[in-house]
Amino acid sequence: MSAVCAALAGDPVLAKHYADFRAKAHGALDPGLAALIGEAVAAVHGMGAAPDEGGLDDGTCACLAYARRMPFEHTAITDAEAAGVVAHLGEAGFVAYSVVAALADAECRAALVDLPGLAGG
Amino acid sequence: MSTTPRVSSAIAAEPPHFGSVLAHQPEIASSFFALYGRFWGSDVLAARIKEVARMRNARVTQCGFCRNVRFDKALGQGLGEEVVDDITDSYETSTRLTNTEKAVLRFTDALIHDPELLTGDARAALQRHLTPAQIAELGLGVVLFLALAKALITMGLEPEAMDRTVLPTPAVLEAAE
Repeated sequence: MSAVCAALAGDPVLAKHYADFRAKAHGALDPGLAALIGEAVAAVHGMGAAPDEGGLDDGTCACLAYARRMPFEHTAITDAEAAGVVAHLGEAGFVAYSVVAALADAECRAALVDLPGLAGG
Repeated sequence: MSTTPRVSSAIAAEPPHFGSVLAHQPEIASSFFALYGRFWGSDVLAARIKEVARMRNARVTQCGFCRNVRFDKALGQGLGEEVVDDITDSYETSTRLTNTEKAVLRFTDALIHDPELLTGDARAALQRHLTPAQIAELGLGVVLFLALAKALITMGLEPEAMDRTVLPTPAVLEAAE
């Protein structure tokens, strides 16, 4: 369970809406790729091991490089890097990918400040 | 940071902006707007407090779109420009921001910038000024503000120039409830 979902345990309506949004965003991507985004972003935050990219195709590796920039270098992502993700996933995929990567970063950050503990009283 | 859209509009005759680009993924869009409306429609945490956190996120993430938008509900709760102008790195010395708002800003900075900023004192102040339910709602808000700003920026949807714009506060979509 994400830190945000855990923190919203006392508000079932907001929790349901958040879980639905998260599921829709993740559901727009290949499940394996969505999982890799989470691992790659968490690793940047020091919250786990980086995914093993051995055996991944060049397009997927380019996507993961884009995701790894999200936590601390989002303003430095270049047009060419973004174009690499579009080339691999298409425009609709790029939109979903950007949302999932940004959400993964924000969820890691919520965990790092112990949002569930703060919201648990 | 690019101000050239990296993705096209999915709505005919509309330029690329957050809504028209998110329309490439209609299920994500409808779910996001339902969530965002429910979040802003809830009065567990005052809209003014939410807007203070949103303004801080806008400045730290360098989201020009976010920085120039104002939601009318917070304006109605007294969040004028003289207060917004104090949401800088020197907010601790502001005489216009309340102690609750300063505690919220410390939390916001910790979440979006550096978790080490949420020291024991800052954590205690947050829990003294807000209830657990309010902290949960604040945390959700900051997560959404941060993710939205970064998605906007990375998709190249930052405006080259933008006037300050007051928008109706997102509301619950009745049809979605």
